[in-house]
Amino acid sequence: MEAHEDYVWPRATSELILLPVTGLECVGDRLLAGEGPDVLVYSLDFGGHLRMMKRVQNLLGHYLIHGFRVRPEPNGDLDSEAMVAVFGSKGLRIVKVSWGQGRFRELWRSGLWNMTDWIWDARWLEGNMALALGHNSVVLYDPVVGCMLQEVPCTDRCTLSSACLIGDTWKELTIVAGAVSNQLLVWYPAAALIDNKPVAPDRRVSGHVGVIFSMSYLESKGLLATASEDRSVRVWKVGDLRVPGGRVQNIGHCFGHSARVWQVKLLENYLISAGEDCVCLVWSHEGEILQAFRGHQGRGIRAIAAHERQAWVVTGGDDSGIRLWHLVGRGYPGSGVSALCFKSRSRPGTLKAVTLAGSWRLLAVTDTGALYLYDLEVKCWEQLLEDKRFQSYCLLEAAPGPEGFGLCAMANGEGRVKVVPINTPTAAVDLTLFRGKVHSLSWALRGYEELLLLASGPGGVVACLEISAAPSGKAIFVKERCRYLLPPSKQRWHTCSAFLPPGDFLVCGDRRGSVLLFPSRPALLKDLGVGGKAGAIAGALGAGSSSEGAETASTEWGPVSALPSLHGKQGVTSVTCHGGYVYTTGRDGAYYQLFVRGGQLQPVLRQKSCRGMNWVAGLRMVADGSMVILGFHANEFVVWSPRSHEKLHIVNCGGGHRSWAFSDTEAAMAFAYLKDGDVMLYRALGGCTRPHVILRESLHGREITCVKRVGTITLGPEFEVPSFMQPDHVEPGSEGPGLTDIVITCSEDTTVCVLALPTVTGSAHALTAVCNHISSVRALAVWGIGTPGGPQDPRPGLTAHVVSAGGRAEMHCFSIMVTPDPSTPSRLACHVMHLSSHRLDEYWDRQRNRHRMVKVDPETRYMSLAVCELDRPGLGPLVAAACSDGAVRLFLLQDSGRRLQLLAETFHHKRCVLKVHSFTHEAPNQRRRLFLCSAATDGSLAFWDLTTVLDHGSAALEPPADAGLPYRLGAPCLTLQAHSCGVNSLHTLPTREGHLVASGSEDGSLHVFVLAVEAPELEEAMGGAELVPQLRVLEEYSVPCAHAAHVTGLKILSPSLMVSASIDQRLTFWRLGHGEPTFMNSTVYHVPDVADMDCWPVSPEFGHRCALGGQGLEVYNWYD
Amino acid sequence: MGRTSKDKRDVYYRLAKENGWRARSAFKLLQLDEEFHLFQGVTRAVDLCAAPGSWSQVLSQKIGGQGSGHVVAVDLQAMAPLPGVLQIQGDITQLSTAKEIIQHFEGRPADLVVCDGAPDVTGLHDVDEYMQAQLLLAALNIATHVLKPGGCFVAKIFRGRDVTLIYSQLRVFFSSVLCAKPRSSRNSSIEAFAVCQGYDPPEGFLPDLTKPLLDHSYDPDFNQLDGPTRIIVPFVTCGDLSSYDSDRSYPLDLEDGSEYKYTPPTQPPISPPYQEACTLKKKGRLAKEIRPQDCPISTADTLSQPLAASQRHTLLASEVEDNEMNCSP
Ligand SMILES: C[S@@+](CC[C@H](N)C(=O)[O-])C[C@H]1O[C@@H](n2cnc3c(N)ncnc32)[C@H](O)[C@@H]1O
Repeated sequence: MEAHEDYVWPRATSELILLPVTGLECVGDRLLAGEGPDVLVYSLDFGGHLRMMKRVQNLLGHYLIHGFRVRPEPNGDLDSEAMVAVFGSKGLRIVKVSWGQGRFRELWRSGLWNMTDWIWDARWLEGNMALALGHNSVVLYDPVVGCMLQEVPCTDRCTLSSACLIGDTWKELTIVAGAVSNQLLVWYPAAALIDNKPVAPDRRVSGHVGVIFSMSYLESKGLLATASEDRSVRVWKVGDLRVPGGRVQNIGHCFGHSARVWQVKLLENYLISAGEDCVCLVWSHEGEILQAFRGHQGRGIRAIAAHERQAWVVTGGDDSGIRLWHLVGRGYPGSGVSALCFKSRSRPGTLKAVTLAGSWRLLAVTDTGALYLYDLEVKCWEQLLEDKRFQSYCLLEAAPGPEGFGLCAMANGEGRVKVVPINTPTAAVDLTLFRGKVHSLSWALRGYEELLLLASGPGGVVACLEISAAPSGKAIFVKERCRYLLPPSKQRWHTCSAFLPPGDFLVCGDRRGSVLLFPSRPALLKDLGVGGKAGAIAGALGAGSSSEGAETASTEWGPVSALPSLHGKQGVTSVTCHGGYVYTTGRDGAYYQLFVRGGQLQPVLRQKSCRGMNWVAGLRMVADGSMVILGFHANEFVVWSPRSHEKLHIVNCGGGHRSWAFSDTEAAMAFAYLKDGDVMLYRALGGCTRPHVILRESLHGREITCVKRVGTITLGPEFEVPSFMQPDHVEPGSEGPGLTDIVITCSEDTTVCVLALPTVTGSAHALTAVCNHISSVRALAVWGIGTPGGPQDPRPGLTAHVVSAGGRAEMHCFSIMVTPDPSTPSRLACHVMHLSSHRLDEYWDRQRNRHRMVKVDPETRYMSLAVCELDRPGLGPLVAAACSDGAVRLFLLQDSGRRLQLLAETFHHKRCVLKVHSFTHEAPNQRRRLFLCSAATDGSLAFWDLTTVLDHGSAALEPPADAGLPYRLGAPCLTLQAHSCGVNSLHTLPTREGHLVASGSEDGSLHVFVLAVEAPELEEAMGGAELVPQLRVLEEYSVPCAHAAHVTGLKILSPSLMVSASIDQRLTFWRLGHGEPTFMNSTVYHVPDVADMDCWPVSPEFGHRCALGGQGLEVYNWYD
Repeated sequence: MGRTSKDKRDVYYRLAKENGWRARSAFKLLQLDEEFHLFQGVTRAVDLCAAPGSWSQVLSQKIGGQGSGHVVAVDLQAMAPLPGVLQIQGDITQLSTAKEIIQHFEGRPADLVVCDGAPDVTGLHDVDEYMQAQLLLAALNIATHVLKPGGCFVAKIFRGRDVTLIYSQLRVFFSSVLCAKPRSSRNSSIEAFAVCQGYDPPEGFLPDLTKPLLDHSYDPDFNQLDGPTRIIVPFVTCGDLSSYDSDRSYPLDLEDGSEYKYTPPTQPPISPPYQEACTLKKKGRLAKEIRPQDCPISTADTLSQPLAASQRHTLLASEVEDNEMNCSP
């Protein structure tokens, strides 16, 4: 400890905040958004888009912004200058801004005024402000000087949950107060004859059976709207509220939300409400729902604003996302369902199947074997052909491509397939492929060069037909190329197919849920392998000829790679190849990202679709580069965007069991289905892209439970990132190369998120979300950090392995790779690959039959993880997990994360284990030793010598032959009662004497001690078996009231400096090394419920960075 | 998830049902009493924010046993009756409710005031903490009217950013203020209880109901926002170590050998605010958005001119990107 270190006084400053958006306001062509104490200013650009213009920092100190009030300027132009009152909690501040011509300048800001009570509403009364305060009083305040002019309480003193001020002068000022008792109290502060004399309410209005959270008054129509805990919105006819004694009449009681309603706003023609269900509803004043905006995640929408001239609604969520929606009035223009009126005397028969060839031609077959064409332009039916052989059973499938390639295929119950050119149906080609029923048909298209038709016959045989056309376009040729054989199963047929670029393989899905890879030209493969290899390849590929189905005695080719039952028993529904990946969807409600490497299919990620969609039917890449998911949700067909979490189209079609078809082009999307003997067609202009705009992407929908920094990427100047900071506001470190920290967060929202945090811009970019967990994710551990090209490769990039764990005793292991990508806002792209997973209950279930009954407890939560890297080459790391059932469990990760096994466990703590932390002890002439420390809800710490454990039970490293129970970990080598209750943070640092250990607890205390590892004398050790080192506590200190709440973040930065973070929202520095830790300074931060903290040094110029995760994310930095 | 899963995750929830308590909170009061002997010599008590009533159950058992006990229970919500407990339905922050409570103690002050009040949390921390503090302050205001000198006040607190302001306020009225957390309260919860003993208002203090007690603000000397001096009161964990751990998931068959049997909740909530919305939802009568099928398409479709399909196949560049696989770890 050099002397100078003792005198550093780090001062942490906030660099970045991601919090719920709690205030929104449209001012002219600007949008103001309140996030914590900061205001984000968006401005309308030339293209008609809102763009972020400026972040005005720290307007409200440690308060959070709940609202803005712009001072009305009867003659002024709010587009060039505005006076804005910003308020939240008990704080109020006025800022004067100039924002004309795309340039933002803050002209003046008042002091931050602290009220004695909560501010529920604020209103400009000429130059002063009226404030509605927490216990039903109104204050007249001079916001420039910062002094109270008058205060008037109501005789009905109680706490409020909302308030609404009406009127432009003190004389006419009216307050509508929402009391905790669910009543509305209307009263007039100016009725107070002398200051401070309470005024009695003029009117009391009851109706809601829950607390009122928001109110909105529309003067022009004399309407008041209220939003409540009782999940309803009420509309009241109130007339001019400024006139005492008027009648209040409830004219609308709107139930549409499925949870509490946080916000309501009356517009001239609409009523907008939003709430805890994350839905924003647009109502008519009569109480009909005109539009529903869904897309926010988590705990709800907290703020709404509207721009009536532009017909915009803007919503801000708990997920810290901001979205802009378009009001369209009644219904969606250009979209709707229409019946195509098939039934007619001239068209006998009943419709059996329907398909779409592109988005303007529809085909349908009847039970008379007739094929009809409906042209959506001409709007009429035309019979193309009739073939009685297709009468009783007929499959119908149009070829893919924007115009359906002008082809469709039919198949019948006798093994017959007919390929029909739509324009010249007389040139149709018939083939008999099988002796039995054709179970399924699918197409595969490679560019515009190669078109295949796959038909499944009996016995799992799939015939692959090549289709080509004569240059005249009048004739087509159909040739059988080869036959494939599917793996055995009861319903043995394929369901979908696609070429894998560049085209050597076909990816198919089958009814059994398996994804299979077939060579697209197996004969070529065989020919290539002439000579010795032919047999081997044939052996590997050919599954021999099957007896039943095959007409031609050709070989049937088995898959070269298979992912059996990937989508479960209900089957795979689609395969799509895009951007180097294969995407499959299934009736298990999920879609997979896969890739093919070395001729083998490998799952990358499993993704869930939206809630309730347990039949995912397809996946499309749309024009704007994003992906949409098609599926069925009970009776509805839904097009859902995973990016915006929005249901783009909903068609009430009755479910997916009847024949249906979907097509999508940039101009329009179409969905056709059979209903009541007719074809119903839903079309929407604009296809699957929506004009709705995400002004800011959302982060997690619920609390962040863990934050881990992975590493830093240095991007050269060629990757320059645009900055919202103005030149006079240059951030530290921005002169140097662009450093971007990669941080991983996990959350109760069941996702893990990879974030990029550039040091230059003070912004955050979510690179990827991993959604494999079924329950909340509580802990992360990272290991094996490297670069994509290996240590010699100078190109920027980062790779790492990650383990995540959480509720339902579930653990996943995946790898991430971050590489430069100039096309994204962060200039980075992140690829994720899922490697393995583990669930305790599954493990136990498997063990049950073989051994004695083990108590299955799927409710166990993993609370914390630690990676213990072993020094034996080739042996993957150990992962220690703190478990809520009282166990510390050790898992072994092998095969670079592809195998995850439970190795050992101990129930030493007998209480919920909250934390685990691993560290290594290295000393000259001694073996490197691995220690694990665990801590539980009773405040005790236990230390485990893993090196010894693994030595003695070295057999444990071999997977137990008859996988039985995990090994027992034995007794800890040291235990220590550090706190009176739960330990919420734990960290260690090696020092000269041994290790400095620090823990922080629920009781607000810190415990710091020096742990010595005393190795036995070397000579002694030479003799027999290696002696076990002893742990000894040298110096021990306790700081009882270090924080006023749980200490959830703790990091020993050096032997003389430690930083702690707590739910009391203080980040505190402590000096160590001179006896008791001593307080140095602390900073109040904005994120509530901080659950985890990570700190890391960035660069000498930039100093340290620290990320705090809780109900939001905040990043601090300090110079060393 | 079956109905037993909550029993597994929350042992106190399960024990409460098995022991006839209306809420798991009963154990919190019992464990606080274990540590502080709250009920010793107590015959008259106020239970603020009492619904569904498990604290009132504990109080009536512990002090009502002698027949002389007197418990007044107050809540916004309706509460099923309990023998020996006088109930008032109302908002404790409201003047009229406070007056009604005080009236019951005129001349015969209470020995104990407890308040387990919590707002229906909104998830916005600053609002929730503020509302919680107002409940506590309202309870304290009532306590200053009904509590005998030396009496005891126990109230739920949220240990958030401004909890030290509450401590400084309580210190004004009580000789001892501690922060206590019963073991039945979870580690993950920010709730704790302020246990204030020895009611001793400052000299000359005149209780005034008409003015709300407002939160203290930070003090540059004694209770700083971010400085070294903050009023953080000693923390006490209550309930002995052998008691069940509220954060631990237990198997259904507990170690004491008792066999598990599912018990339904003792007292389901009485008319919650969302009742009507739920009934409507069940009957499918929530308002729905006007779906496109209700307003058939009438606009002229403006699609780009279709191209003759069968002549097209030499044509467009491949739609599928032929990117190389680019994700090898
Ligand atoms: C955690 S529960 C109390 C549980 C109770 N101690 C028991 O053991 O059954 C909190 C209660 O506070 C009540 N409450 C919240 N705000 C209130 C207010 N302003 N006045 C009265 N009661 C209130 C709620 O209705 C709720 O029943």
